[in-house]
Amino acid sequence: MMEEEKLKIGVVSCSGEDCAGGTISRLATRKMMDELRPDNTVTICLPLFLAGGQEERMFAKECPTIAVDGCDKACAKRATEKYSGKVSSGILVSDLIGSAAAEKPALSTRDITTEHQVMVDQVAAEITRQFDEIMAKNCQEQSKSSSTCSCRGNCDC
Amino acid sequence: MSTNAKVKVVPCSGVGKVFGLMSREAVLHTVKHLCPEQADTICLAYIVTGDDEVETSIENQPCITIDGCPKMCSAKSVAMMGGDVRGEFKVLDIMKEHKGAQPGTATLLTDQGWSIVEEIAGKLNSRVQEISGGGRKE
Repeated sequence: MMEEEKLKIGVVSCSGEDCAGGTISRLATRKMMDELRPDNTVTICLPLFLAGGQEERMFAKECPTIAVDGCDKACAKRATEKYSGKVSSGILVSDLIGSAAAEKPALSTRDITTEHQVMVDQVAAEITRQFDEIMAKNCQEQSKSSSTCSCRGNCDC
Repeated sequence: MSTNAKVKVVPCSGVGKVFGLMSREAVLHTVKHLCPEQADTICLAYIVTGDDEVETSIENQPCITIDGCPKMCSAKSVAMMGGDVRGEFKVLDIMKEHKGAQPGTATLLTDQGWSIVEEIAGKLNSRVQEISGGGRKE
């Protein structure tokens, strides 16, 4: 029997090189993929919206998307919405860890301290919270139209 | 040399594969440690927004791009925004010289990964030096 398709949620990180917030956004996004929601998280390199083709530009139209931005330029959110589709939600790292920390110079992953790791965990926790909200909402909508739950046990249905 | 006259070294920073992380780390090492006076970087994500401010900052400016995969997002995006691309590097090409190497993951690099990153940074630095000493417009 064919396995029911799992709902995937896109997490698009700015990965910016201008400030520490870009490094934190990247690592928090990776944490979603590696540890927190590996089976349901998908991502796309942000520049592919411009350099790629129609397939890449369908990303935010095909799956709910959370934009994670390191600074208030909000490039991930704006570029996703410009080239692909409206994001389901957006996270501004500077709102969570403070502008002073987010606007420090870009960090190499070699220079990540325990303090930075706490920030990564904090941002990842917020992505997870929004992720689970979107998952639950989609699940409720799916449940209205069918008897099965599309997220396969990742919600409280 | 004014900040604007610095060579812009722009990585793809791809989030899905180790080669994207290697491009990012190589650029950070280059602009922070090897040639901070001659080079700086700019967020590719910002370039992708197409804002007037970012277009002005790279238009006709000497740029070097480094990409992790054959999609060449950095090279294409910088060129689309009017950057004067004087060098295009591909992590995959450099990895061909390290067959069997285990550089790590898109999250963390191994010691071998860091060693290759430093080699890539050396190549970027050499290109920056060539451009800086090559009589470009200031």
